[in-house]
Amino acid sequence: MTKAKATYLNGTSEMKRRSSYMKRYWQLYALLTLPIVYFLIFRYGPMYGVQIAFKDFNLFQGINGSEWIGLQAFREVFAMNDFYTTLRNTFMLNILDLIVSFPAPIILAIMLYEIRSKRFKKISQTILYIPHFISWVIIGGIVYQLFGTQSGMVNEVLRTLGFQAIPFLTEKNSWLITYLFAGVWQSAGWGTILYLAALTGVNRELFEAADVDGASRMRKIWHITLPSIRPTIVTLLILNLGNMVSIGFDRPYIIGNTAVREYSDVLSTFVYRIGLESGQYTLATVVGLFQAVVGLVFVLGSNYISKKVTGDGIL
Amino acid sequence: MTRNTRRGVMKKAMGAALATVMGVALLSGCSGAAKDDSAATGATGTDGKRVTLKVEVFDRGNSPAPYTITNNWLTQYVQKEFGDPNNIDVEFVPVQRSEETTKLNVLMASASDVPDIVFVYDSSVFFRYAQQGGLTDVGELLNTEGADLKKYLGEDTLKFGQLEGKQFAIPGKRAITGRYASYIRQDWLDKVGMKAPTTTDELYDTLKAFKEKDPAGLGDKNIPMGMALAPAQYETLIYSFIKPIKGDLTYSQRYELPLHDGFKDAMQFMNKLYNEGLISKDFSIDEEKEQLTKDIQNGNVGYWSEDVDNLFYEDGTLDNLTANVPDSKVEPIDAYSNPNEGNKHIKSRYGSNGMYIMIPKSSERADEAVKYLNWMSQGNNIITIYNGVEGENYDMKDGIPVTKPDVSKELQDRVYNGGDMAIISNGKAIGDEATNEAAWVAGFPVNNQEMLKKSLEISNTDTVGPIVFDRPIEAESKYGTALNDKLKVLIVQSAMAPTDQFEAVYDREMQDFMNIGGSELKKELEAALQGQ
Repeated sequence: MTKAKATYLNGTSEMKRRSSYMKRYWQLYALLTLPIVYFLIFRYGPMYGVQIAFKDFNLFQGINGSEWIGLQAFREVFAMNDFYTTLRNTFMLNILDLIVSFPAPIILAIMLYEIRSKRFKKISQTILYIPHFISWVIIGGIVYQLFGTQSGMVNEVLRTLGFQAIPFLTEKNSWLITYLFAGVWQSAGWGTILYLAALTGVNRELFEAADVDGASRMRKIWHITLPSIRPTIVTLLILNLGNMVSIGFDRPYIIGNTAVREYSDVLSTFVYRIGLESGQYTLATVVGLFQAVVGLVFVLGSNYISKKVTGDGIL
Repeated sequence: MTRNTRRGVMKKAMGAALATVMGVALLSGCSGAAKDDSAATGATGTDGKRVTLKVEVFDRGNSPAPYTITNNWLTQYVQKEFGDPNNIDVEFVPVQRSEETTKLNVLMASASDVPDIVFVYDSSVFFRYAQQGGLTDVGELLNTEGADLKKYLGEDTLKFGQLEGKQFAIPGKRAITGRYASYIRQDWLDKVGMKAPTTTDELYDTLKAFKEKDPAGLGDKNIPMGMALAPAQYETLIYSFIKPIKGDLTYSQRYELPLHDGFKDAMQFMNKLYNEGLISKDFSIDEEKEQLTKDIQNGNVGYWSEDVDNLFYEDGTLDNLTANVPDSKVEPIDAYSNPNEGNKHIKSRYGSNGMYIMIPKSSERADEAVKYLNWMSQGNNIITIYNGVEGENYDMKDGIPVTKPDVSKELQDRVYNGGDMAIISNGKAIGDEATNEAAWVAGFPVNNQEMLKKSLEISNTDTVGPIVFDRPIEAESKYGTALNDKLKVLIVQSAMAPTDQFEAVYDREMQDFMNIGGSELKKELEAALQGQ
């Protein structure tokens, strides 16, 4: 409702209008209640615990019983070498992941879109989705069985072919490739869903017109298919950039190991280690809070840039 | 996939699961304060009302059907013998073995779910809980309810659980202090025509020969020396280079090893072994010894170190090796010699205490908890928990419970987790060390007993034990976990560095180790040493 309209209506009729509006749409609001309750309990409720970052948290006194210590814990965290290493690794793994894993589903979606045989398309889609439903713990088990240096299947094949064994898991640069490969394998298929959905909306006539003009297949992909999924790409890119500083726990924790700790130690595993393993909850909370704040900056920043550059944004 | 592999994966899975509940745990921490007062009143179960006593128990995921970890022959025995007469329901709270501290941290944060009896091996965790005021002082309770327990443990053991004169933990008693022995494939030695090595230098020559002559014809699978990123493998090597701090004592924590002279020599030796292809290539990802065990069982390993008992269990590593490679012959040997300590066969031994058994401050069942531990120390209970029923599972011979030959699987399964239930006794502590060892050996398959005896003898030769200070080392509770983690990185990086870069890598990692708490720890330890 516009401002002009609101001033035009007098008070009572405004109320009447509102109540009839609620009467009409109350089911929608009722539906909304559940997600709101969820967010209040599971997303906003825990924020109460953020104060642990500013307290000398004592497990047995609880949050209220612990003493305020101001920013002391922040100073302690920012003086830790491990903090910077894990921060660097978080960015590094995320950026590499963005470069490698982000285009993968786009390419895959376009390839699937180009497939003529419906049956073949359905089957390949199903096979591509499966890895998404396998937990990282199991993927980790598979990766370690396959890529071990001395007893891994892949290296045994390499050796019988007369090549040197490659330390996929224990040499940090080779490990990066293993890490990225596992990520692509797990998520690329699932990632195509959004793009394929966007592609169903493309007007077939565009392709027919391009055919008449004698456009090659690559030309058609470049000028018709890609532009039609551009908004989807931009939205997902923004979401991904917002997540630059946060990183899932399971993947680096499970695929990582001591030999490649230099690269595999990230903020989430760091929080796990100091928080749960050594029970230094204050420091762990500081790192978590830091992560959240930087994450917010990233989302807002990338949204701002995207709005400037492409005119599209999510906020 | 083998059972071992799955266990490793399970560990990681538990880690992932724990991380997700962490937020919840922190939240429930808020409720912690409210409960504190009620603990002081310490309600008792003697007023006729039936009460519930909750006891932590390690879950190794090995419960044989039809038993579960919370309902098996032993839990029923405890309920019948201790619970029912005292009007107490004993409830067991399982904790994954590999989640010992992480799960405990979560449990302790929730005043309502925490068991009345919890335990941990790590002294710094115990000290942290005690200093934060989370534990019940059981000094007085031990006098009123725990006379037998006090006698069983003895003053020396009890001392480990004291802080500033207060008894905040009841330390378990350790039956056997020997830890590690090493083994060599005698059939490999015979094939390369060498005698069993008796010094580290000879060992090196032997390993070289194993590599070059490949006596078992294994090609790429040949592993002259089995290695894993587990204490039984790397500690044995490190201890054969370091200089004790004074007499036969070293600092007590594993992550304090780099603070000893000679540590660098150990790393250099390991680096040499790695670069010459003499040790397992993937040792750095083998923290649970899964791969190593597999390699030994398949007959691919020539020499290795292990926990003294590990090979000898029924259908264990040794039995499997014999089944896979019938003409294999394993011999326990004491090859490592320490050039920095007069070429003695220096190796680590346990301190005389087992784990720290604690009663959280929030527990309302402190009386019953002490009563339970006291009951365990009485009469034949320890033996029953370890061995089962006399006449059915074992016979007494010269005061030693000897497992009857060919006891049915069903009867054996009664005590499948006896070691985890008998928390006050780490190993069968039923007398002096010789008795304990004899009792322990008697529980193994007859075929393996002779070799286990030899291993025990080796594990008791030239041992060095942990120094115990009468106060907590603050730096331990502050930096312990980080340093423990760093120790592994330090070992892996130093061992796997290219030969010409060893110095640089070692210096860098060591510098890092000192920076993240190592130097503070060193200062405090040296000060504490002066004060002794």
